[in-house]
Amino acid sequence: MKKIKAVMVGQPNVGKSSIINAISNARLHVGNFAGVTVEKKEVEVRKGEYEIDIVDLPGIYSLHAYTPEEQVTKRYLLEESYDVIINVVDANVLQRNLVFTLQLLDMRKKTILVVNMVDEVEEKGGRIDGEKLSQLLGIPVILASAKHKKGVDEILDRVIEVYHQPKCGCKIYYNEKIEEEIENLAKILLKSPHFTDYDQARFYAIRLLEKDEDIYRIVHDLPIFLELHEALGEAIRRLQLEFDVEDVRDLFADERNALAKSIVMQVMQLPRQETLTDKIDKILIHPVFGLPIFLFFMWGLFQLTFEIGSLPVDYLDQTITNFANWLKDILPPGDFNSVITDGVIPAVGAVIMFLPNILILFLGINLLEQTGYMARAAFLLDGFLKKFGLQGKAFIPLVSGFGCTVPAYMAARTLKNPKDRLITMLILGFMNCSARLPVYVLLISAFFATHSAGNVLFAIYIGGAILGLFVAKVLRMVLFKGEPEPFVMEMPPYRFPSLKALAMELWIKSKLFIKKAGTFIAGAAMIIWFLSSYPHHPDLEARYIQKIEQTQDPKLKEQLQNELAAKKLELSYLGQFGKMIEPIFAPLGFDWRLSVATISGLAAKEVVVSTLATLYAVGEGNEHSSTLVQKLREYVDFKAAVALIVIIMIYSPCVAAMSTFYAEVPQWAWRTFYTIYPNVLAWLMAFSVYQVLAFLGF
Amino acid sequence: MNITDLKIAEEATITKVKAPEPIRGRLYAMGIAKGNRVRLLDHTLKKQTWEVDVEGTRVALRDEEAKAVEVEK
Ligand SMILES: Nc1nc2c(ncn2[C@@H]2O[C@H](COP(=O)(O)OP(=O)(O)O)[C@@H](O)[C@H]2O)c(=O)[nH]1
Ligand SMILES: [Mg+2]
Repeated sequence: MKKIKAVMVGQPNVGKSSIINAISNARLHVGNFAGVTVEKKEVEVRKGEYEIDIVDLPGIYSLHAYTPEEQVTKRYLLEESYDVIINVVDANVLQRNLVFTLQLLDMRKKTILVVNMVDEVEEKGGRIDGEKLSQLLGIPVILASAKHKKGVDEILDRVIEVYHQPKCGCKIYYNEKIEEEIENLAKILLKSPHFTDYDQARFYAIRLLEKDEDIYRIVHDLPIFLELHEALGEAIRRLQLEFDVEDVRDLFADERNALAKSIVMQVMQLPRQETLTDKIDKILIHPVFGLPIFLFFMWGLFQLTFEIGSLPVDYLDQTITNFANWLKDILPPGDFNSVITDGVIPAVGAVIMFLPNILILFLGINLLEQTGYMARAAFLLDGFLKKFGLQGKAFIPLVSGFGCTVPAYMAARTLKNPKDRLITMLILGFMNCSARLPVYVLLISAFFATHSAGNVLFAIYIGGAILGLFVAKVLRMVLFKGEPEPFVMEMPPYRFPSLKALAMELWIKSKLFIKKAGTFIAGAAMIIWFLSSYPHHPDLEARYIQKIEQTQDPKLKEQLQNELAAKKLELSYLGQFGKMIEPIFAPLGFDWRLSVATISGLAAKEVVVSTLATLYAVGEGNEHSSTLVQKLREYVDFKAAVALIVIIMIYSPCVAAMSTFYAEVPQWAWRTFYTIYPNVLAWLMAFSVYQVLAFLGF
Repeated sequence: MNITDLKIAEEATITKVKAPEPIRGRLYAMGIAKGNRVRLLDHTLKKQTWEVDVEGTRVALRDEEAKAVEVEK
């Protein structure tokens, strides 16, 4: 068995991942690139006597890497060892993609070119001559469509074929005068034992002429550096004079652009016509109607999340309560019975209930992303976000934050400027993640009228976003003076989302969620149950049991039973802890149970709901089968409920999110700031809201 | 003239990109480079953000960047 290692490189959105998914009989591994939290997808596939290993590198527009993700790809290309480069390009925008291909070909590595999305070109009535393209570039070319699985398996054959060639057959040369300078520099580089291969020296010479700092750093320590440095300066001066340019980088950009243009002219016919994207864009990013349409979409999403998502909630809630009661009767009484029926089932049930809401929200965000609308929203909001010291691209992590804060922190990598990135990350927590949804849905169902529920939910999400913008503005004025980074972004064409990919995402999401509920949340519930059931107080119990036996009145019996349960809970470890922290939350109208639930939310936001379920289930007689919502209405007042909502909106996200932030931001000062300020702010805001409501007479 | 002087749906040829590096490199990578045809598609209400089509790629840019792209009809 021979091993071939290949890397898949291309500009963003050309369909690399789709191709990887379309390769038959491949085994997929998902991991991270060493040292960074950029997802690394790798497939292994057998073909004859070969085992081919393909790494999917993050999308990159140019070897002049700009974002941290592009830097990952560039570093991988320069430093890792691999046998073959698979360069994927989008046939629709061949010229732009070929400019990058020409940069790759400078490396003179064994390369194959996959021209993807030919189906779209053909649909528009266009044609591409793959053979001619292959002749011009000197490398194998495959016309492919990941969507129709066309040409995908041929990639493997070509990889094996070029693997056996002695070297790259690339035929691309620049203008004679440029090549002359390249050769001069390459010769100097070859004097160093660091270089054994002319092609590599040529590549380095080109990159040096283009002022590539990564390469400059490598040659900086070589003994030939002085000679090289001088020759480089002269070469640059000569080229600037010869071609009348201010910067040699422009010269290479012009050369490659002109080459790409002439190649496209020779191999492709693409009639220019108004595309569907043109038509849709006329409406969706209309100067006047664009923003209202965007707001309407967002509003609609939250209405759907609540209205459809909560249809099964009451039913699920009742079913779970009945199930717990049924189990309580058939299991032998004792601790085991109690931990299951009072601890785990209500807690896990309380969280599972909200799976439909979460799935709808995730589906919505995925749709925004996959259809290409997310980029339009960034376009529409850039001017607005700029006022708050952010930029349009920050919209993408911000919206992802509505799904889950963890990937949102990672999505902030698309921002190049470190200040922009930090500001965005510091306010991401105010974008309410879907784990907080159960808490809101629960509290809204308990304390607001059904007909206004969707609007209240929308207001919570909008309120969080507005607060985030406001904080961003303050941060920009106080801590991060300076202009936000420039905004230049590709607007991908609208595409019908792949239903398979959507279903797959939802399936993975549900699986993860149920797993989390069954493990992490069930575990947390057991701990909470234990802390709320121990220590036992035999004399107290004995006293009450005596009293209960003495009375004949069933009403009084029940009342005494409830009293006993409440006393036991208050004397438990959790009750003691709650009493200890109660003073902090007392100004917000929280009793110790709400205080404990709030703290437990730092583990994961769903745990707030499960903790409430456990705490309020324990304090109740057995005959009742009232639901959590009814109990909350009984025990919590409206002002405190709203204050709790405000706290949940603002205070620190869960530990998983916090550790992601720590991983992404190495400075201790920022980590400390990030850990403290949301909690202080949350308390202050909740206190103000509580006072205002009290003043208004609620 | 530059991109911001075009009317919506108007086409022109790019003659020079004056933005400083590294933004210039980014514009090049998006296809905003000398000799390419550009068409203004849209702008926001206050003309702070612009959308153009260059050789089939749609690019959104801010006022500052759009003003740095010289064109010729
Ligand atoms: N019509 C068509 N669409 C494709 C093809 N390959 C990928 N796509 C779509 O292009 C978009 C980007 O693909 P993706 O694989 O995520 O690109 P990546 O960023 O390079 O990994 C997705 O919406 C895909 O469904 C293709 O061959 N034909
Ligand atoms: Mg991908």
